[in-house]
Amino acid sequence: MRYLLSIGLLFAFSAFAQESNNSELADLLGSEDMSGFVRAIEPYEFSFPRDHGPHPEFRNEWWYITGNLDGERDRRFGFELTIFRFSLTPDEPEKDSDWRTNQVYIAHFAVTDADRERFYVAERYSRGALGIAGAEADPFRVWIDDWEITGSGQPERWQLTAADEDFALDLALTALKPPALNGDEGLSQKSDEPGNASYYYTIPRWQSEGTLRLGDDTFTVSGLSWLDREWSSSALASDQKGWDWFALQLSDGSELMYYNIRKDDGSQDRNSSGTWIDANGNYRYLSRDEVTVTVNDYWDSPEGGRYPGAWTVEVQAVGLVVDVEPVIADQELFTTVRYWEGAVDVEGTRNGNRVEGRGYVELTGYAD
Amino acid sequence: MIPVTYRANFSYLLRHPWQLALAIVGVAIGVAVIVAVDLANASARKAFLLSMDAVTGEATHQVIGGPRGVDESVYASLRVDAGIRAIAPVVEGNVRVGERSLDLMGIDLFAEQDLREFTGQVDTAEMDDADAESVFRALLTDPTAVTMSRTTANELGLEAGDAFDVIADGRTRPATLFGTFDSDGTSIDNLLIADIATAQAWLGQQGWLSRLDVRIEDGDDAALKKLEDALPAGTRVLTAAGRTRTTAELSKAFMTNLTAMSLLALLVGLFLIYNSVNFSVLQRRGLIGSLRALGMTRRELFTLIMTEAALIGLISATVGVLLGAWLGDRLLALVSLSINDFYFRVNATNVTVSAFSVTKGMLAGVGAALVASAVPALEAMAYEPRLAMARSTLEQHTSRFLPIAAILGIATMAAAVIVLLASGQSLVAGLTAVFMLILGFALCVPLVVGIVSRAIAPATTRAAGTTFGMSVSGIAASLSRTGIAIVALAVAVSATIGVSVMVDSFRGSVSDWLEQSLQADVYTGVERGDMDPTLIADIVALAGVEHYSTSRRAWLEDDESRVQLIAIQMAPGGYAGTEILDADPDRVWPRWEAGDVVLVSEPYAYQNAVAAGDTITLRTRSGDTPFEIGATYQSYDINASAVMLSRATYDRHYDDDGIDSIGLYLADGVDADAFVETIGVLAGDRQLIRASSNVGIRELSLEIFDRTFVITDVLYWLALGVAFIGILGAMLALQLERTRELATLRALGMTPAQIGGMITGQTATIGLFSGIAAVPLGLIMAWVLIEVINRRAFGWQIDMTVAPGILGSAVVFAVGAAMLAGLYPAMRASRVEPAVAMREE
Repeated sequence: MRYLLSIGLLFAFSAFAQESNNSELADLLGSEDMSGFVRAIEPYEFSFPRDHGPHPEFRNEWWYITGNLDGERDRRFGFELTIFRFSLTPDEPEKDSDWRTNQVYIAHFAVTDADRERFYVAERYSRGALGIAGAEADPFRVWIDDWEITGSGQPERWQLTAADEDFALDLALTALKPPALNGDEGLSQKSDEPGNASYYYTIPRWQSEGTLRLGDDTFTVSGLSWLDREWSSSALASDQKGWDWFALQLSDGSELMYYNIRKDDGSQDRNSSGTWIDANGNYRYLSRDEVTVTVNDYWDSPEGGRYPGAWTVEVQAVGLVVDVEPVIADQELFTTVRYWEGAVDVEGTRNGNRVEGRGYVELTGYAD
Repeated sequence: MIPVTYRANFSYLLRHPWQLALAIVGVAIGVAVIVAVDLANASARKAFLLSMDAVTGEATHQVIGGPRGVDESVYASLRVDAGIRAIAPVVEGNVRVGERSLDLMGIDLFAEQDLREFTGQVDTAEMDDADAESVFRALLTDPTAVTMSRTTANELGLEAGDAFDVIADGRTRPATLFGTFDSDGTSIDNLLIADIATAQAWLGQQGWLSRLDVRIEDGDDAALKKLEDALPAGTRVLTAAGRTRTTAELSKAFMTNLTAMSLLALLVGLFLIYNSVNFSVLQRRGLIGSLRALGMTRRELFTLIMTEAALIGLISATVGVLLGAWLGDRLLALVSLSINDFYFRVNATNVTVSAFSVTKGMLAGVGAALVASAVPALEAMAYEPRLAMARSTLEQHTSRFLPIAAILGIATMAAAVIVLLASGQSLVAGLTAVFMLILGFALCVPLVVGIVSRAIAPATTRAAGTTFGMSVSGIAASLSRTGIAIVALAVAVSATIGVSVMVDSFRGSVSDWLEQSLQADVYTGVERGDMDPTLIADIVALAGVEHYSTSRRAWLEDDESRVQLIAIQMAPGGYAGTEILDADPDRVWPRWEAGDVVLVSEPYAYQNAVAAGDTITLRTRSGDTPFEIGATYQSYDINASAVMLSRATYDRHYDDDGIDSIGLYLADGVDADAFVETIGVLAGDRQLIRASSNVGIRELSLEIFDRTFVITDVLYWLALGVAFIGILGAMLALQLERTRELATLRALGMTPAQIGGMITGQTATIGLFSGIAAVPLGLIMAWVLIEVINRRAFGWQIDMTVAPGILGSAVVFAVGAAMLAGLYPAMRASRVEPAVAMREE
């Protein structure tokens, strides 16, 4: 779901492009030469743990974990750890040195401290060589420097570790549901052209226990996390500007994932879609016609740009009407690409019954 | 309003413009040489420091390892296991593009963010539709991609997108310039930047990093400790600044010696000013007498003369500084060449004129003028207001002063000896003593010349006729001026003797040493890097090879210094090539082979005050390891502080199987030169190697040796130039002063040819005296240069050998220079019209 972000990242983090940072991202996408890369055209036979591992024949890929955590003294936290992988070329270059590779890794690590209204962000990048960064399927491991996600077993038991100077997170994750395949059995179309799609699966609910350090304070934390895994070689079309992405975990045991792709003219792209996962882990595709998102409020970034700041999400097919509100307004990441990614509270009704929940929302394409 | 008294004086000077001009030129050259050397030294050093700064970037520390550097897994472990982030790996080495030597720097762009600026500034505007991702893709995945500063690219005639060849590790590699960056001056020119993978592949450094750059906030001892704790044995954290300093220090002795040479030029210039001012005072004794009679006080008179001197000094210094800036530019090329040959890469193309150098030059010029004028000014104060003293009285004054000067001179020389004995290993003190010796000696010269010339005048008259006799006695009679000319020339010539004898002795020692150490018949190796092992195997398998030796040189760095390790696998006949100085070779070599002991070079032993039997510590794979010194061996390597290990010992302690060069011992009857060709054919495209017979290497080594002393040559020629001008000035002055005397001689019947002959004879004698006086002074200087200066600067022990030819030619040169300088005055003197000249008063 983070195509634009990922390519933009690669574009920007290189520091070569300081001045063209805000140039036409679509041009960049449009001019990309996809030849040689495998593209997501046909539905695909997913297999685990194989598909937890990397798919270097695709241009980009990510391991994305977000979650809402509770700590001692009624403290409320949110976190995001995303590790991106990029293939710079379709084929691996000749190995004339251990450093030689076409694999690049970038990671974003953020923590939201809802009560103190603080937002922590750190970023890492590295080549996928020499054991400094990489991804492996079995046993599962993806890492940059000393940030890593490791895992094993059925049901999945994963471990997440990331630390920056001011904040650190150590989390044991236990999957409460099997993977849900988004789109057409995992083939998630992003724009009209065939191949502008990804392979996309979600493990929407993980029991999470561990410790969180903020400055000198360490908290024992527990809560629920969400995993998104996606890989592709191309996705967006030149007239697509950004997206709003929702991952909501509800108190009745169900989850909603929905992404709304926005076009340059402000209209909604028809490839916007979502997935509904019930308490038993059964999932169904949601077309854009089945989901209505209304923006109730806005937040102006102090650095410029106006983001939506509160929503009402309605999915008639499953009888869901909920209000979604950020736990704090400012959860904007000033990484090499600016975007908003934050913990949210959910409150509303499901088939007339009160339902609440928590989740994460990602907003791109709003920064000036 | 200039007081009339001043105008009277200046108008005198203006009426004698040549005298003024010569004084100015003499001092100006002295100042110019000082400024030039200072600028060249400072510019070379600054260029080096700037480039180090740019390359070091924000790094505060560097992690270094053994001979091959740091194992790359150490880097990965620091990041992944220890979570240390502000570190960046660097792989560097020297490569060639065409004839140009460049430093290849391999970096990991991902780790660069906080460390180096220029790596983020690559401009690819020249490339078609280049976007950052494609640039990034090129750098990481294209094994030919490199970048360099725009200046360097321009100099190489390259543009973004161009393909060219890079010679690295003896192999030709295809390269593509994918973009250039702005270098903001010269600091990061001469640098080829590539991805770390490319650098490793090209330099044959797979698995190794030259160093890790580290940024630790000031005072963050915890971070430093964390890093040190995480590092394995055999690595070390050094401060970046300290490492730069240590490198720069390598050339310090060399630069100090150059500065000393430049001071020599000013010293000669000093005599010249003294001569000029003294002469102008003597010339004006009538005028000065009148001024005193008109009521000018002694103090006013002193001020007047000193003001004049200060003005001359100021003008000379200004001219000198301008000249110096020009000369410095030329000198810089020579200085850079030597530094590049021996110490570190420096790419100083422009002299940057610093206020400090200019101020030093100005102060030296004006100061020299004032100091040199103080004596004549004091003397002028002694003049009575009555009309001028007779010339004879003046000379009596002078001759009364001579013994005092000589006593002072002897005292100065004695003090110099004390300084030499008491100053330990200080190079600056050693050079100070040299100057004191020169000065002391110079002070004695006039007295001796006076005595000698008086003593031999009658004999010369008998032997060579009245004219020549008058020439000789004339020297004694006008010692107040000729004495100084003699001293100036003597000092300059003695410097040539001293330096020539030193260089000649040095060259002889080096040549003998080369003869002895080059035991193998043919040597072959790569310029920088490792020889291809399969190529070595093929070469030693060639018919005609009886035995072979291998050698590996590597640097070990520490906080304070760097030491060269030489790992040698000896051939049976190779031991004789190393002269053991302080132990029994038959006992040392077996222990050395067995790994019990190491050998240290003589300079190492001198600099570290160690000898056979002592223990030294070297950083090895397992950390600091003690080694016993088996013996000291003779070496004239410029980077002379070396420790020699047997290959087996080296392999036990270091992870480095590289070989730089091999020595081949050929069977009887195998022609070395033909064999060299065979090796060349065998190497072919596999690796670019150098092969040479031992004769060829000896010649090449001596060639480099000679090149080093080109600077020395240039400097002492300049000193000689100053002396030459001094003689010219003195003789012109004499001739002017003696116009009436010469006219009288003409009136008495001397022909113009006889007059000219007399003057020429006199200058020849001055030259002879200078030359003869220069011999002992030159020999003393040579001795001090060899035994004190060279030893203190480089640690070399040189056998002093004096080729009589050097001494003889120095005397002949002195006579020739003096006669040449006397030619014009002699011509002028012979043209004196008796009637006109005698009417003058």
